[in-house]
Amino acid sequence: MDVLLIDNNDSFTRNLEHLLASALPGARVAVEPYARLGGLDPAGWDFLVISPGPGGPEEYPDHARVLASGRPVLGVCLGMQVINGLCGGRTSPLCGCVHGRTDVIDWRGRPRTVARYHSLHVSEVGRGLSVLATNAAGVVMALGCRERRLLGYQFHPESFLTPDGEEFIHDAVEYLGIR
Amino acid sequence: MTRSSISVSASRARFEAAALALARERGADLVFSAPGCPARTEPVVGVDPVAELVFDEGTTPDDIREFCFGTPGPALGFISYSYGMLLRGVASAKARRFPLGHLKKYAARVEFDADGERALVFSADPALRGELAARIEAAPEHTAVEPVRGLPRRAPESSLGRAGYEAGVRETLARIRGGHTYQLNLSTRFSWTCPDLDPLALWASLWRRHPAPFYAWFSSGGHRVLSTSPERFLRVADGRVLSQPIKGTLRFDAPAPGLAERLTGSAKEAAELSMIVDLIRNDISAHCAYGSVRVENHKSVFAVDNLLQMYADVRGELRPGSDCLDLFLDAFPGGSVTGCPKRRSMEIIEELEPHARELFCGSMVVVRDERTLDSSIAIRTALFDAASGRLDVYAGSGIVVDSVPASEYEETLAKAEKFLDAAKIFDTEAT
Repeated sequence: MDVLLIDNNDSFTRNLEHLLASALPGARVAVEPYARLGGLDPAGWDFLVISPGPGGPEEYPDHARVLASGRPVLGVCLGMQVINGLCGGRTSPLCGCVHGRTDVIDWRGRPRTVARYHSLHVSEVGRGLSVLATNAAGVVMALGCRERRLLGYQFHPESFLTPDGEEFIHDAVEYLGIR
Repeated sequence: MTRSSISVSASRARFEAAALALARERGADLVFSAPGCPARTEPVVGVDPVAELVFDEGTTPDDIREFCFGTPGPALGFISYSYGMLLRGVASAKARRFPLGHLKKYAARVEFDADGERALVFSADPALRGELAARIEAAPEHTAVEPVRGLPRRAPESSLGRAGYEAGVRETLARIRGGHTYQLNLSTRFSWTCPDLDPLALWASLWRRHPAPFYAWFSSGGHRVLSTSPERFLRVADGRVLSQPIKGTLRFDAPAPGLAERLTGSAKEAAELSMIVDLIRNDISAHCAYGSVRVENHKSVFAVDNLLQMYADVRGELRPGSDCLDLFLDAFPGGSVTGCPKRRSMEIIEELEPHARELFCGSMVVVRDERTLDSSIAIRTALFDAASGRLDVYAGSGIVVDSVPASEYEETLAKAEKFLDAAKIFDTEAT
């Protein structure tokens, strides 16, 4: 499997690269900066991953090419907000930002501890996207669309504070119908 | 080329006395390390430089690699935060007075082997070897702390006084709420003019009264570096990578039960450390083997300078094809003194701090070979310009969303306290 991880100038991207490599044995994981996205053909990859990053989704318009490719896409944190924004959804400041703390979410019927780093959150879900998980306060923690092969995690599966990080990658591959 | 060594039986005190005399009389550069701290390193004395690399804007990672690995023997020196800004592509128009980095190789070096209670003298020159061995044997076992001549008697000038620093914290909090940074280290600089200062005596007196794991004394042209850091940035030992970021500080006057728990039990301090641990994992992952990066001893605590400090061990294995300078330079400057995400945080720091950090928040480094180096985070560090008599002491604090501006300013004062105390002008109202 050829995986393209697009780095939005973030400081957790390499953690995500290592998580993808260990969760998907045999996969080749390429990391490319957002600035080089214009010169890449997203259709040539089996699995596209949009990294976390600073700022809001409107600062990263070139990801439209990623979604337009029709290939399976996973977005993490900012990456999820980018997917949501490109589907017409909105992102707003989160009252009392959460950075470096864990939360427990209900994930496919099981409680899972996940790491959170975000100042912004999805306040209006984009067209065709379903909310797949929220936290106790109702903050969207995962959303996606099976038909369009899009999935977003607001939390950080690549953090050392998320004990079952690999499971979230396996679940993404399954949800997105890869392989 | 083979290098010969002589072993001399010596206590730590005798080694240090000889080292300080070599710094005084021969311009030697020193790394001292207090035992018992997580970031302890091998004490080193560099005598008689034979090669030097002074960094400017054109110095490339390949130049550094060639200097360190092109000839045998360890390289010792500093790499500045300002050089780190160039590496990370963060522009700055601020005036600098220090070189961007400075590494030296020496005709001889002395190392202290704590397990064997002995000093090891390395040099290709038998006469120099013999001379240094004789000096160590003749060094006194007990030396009185010299009084420090020429200390300033006036309050320092601050690049950011209380009001300016607290305004900077408030602006940082606005940037955090906007999603531009999750955590950011904001610093201030205290400056004095004290042309009669004996900077080596000041450094030695700080070492006696406030030992820490990564002290360094280094001469760079007319500048003197007085680094008293408690923090390791990166150690690579035959390819085994260790970083020990510190986040979370609690000032105390006397040891008391429950103090460490106050630090480890604080959700704010734990979040601050966790964030930097994830950042360091990321930064070492660029040159570590898949599956090798791990976190151990998360939220451990040690005491230094009447401060309790919380830290974690982040480990990995150097990837085949990468050397320790690939790892160091791609991970530099250390995440605990930038913020996260690193590049955006460094841009905001550049905007909010009126001073150039220069060496502060860079690293003191000892590079031994392609798979072995050790380095500090150059915090609790002062720079002395012998020509102008200017002494600069820097201190900073990590700002997170629930930081209180006044408390963060107090934390910077606590971190600078040993220097301010030495100057006997500690004054919380200094502006």
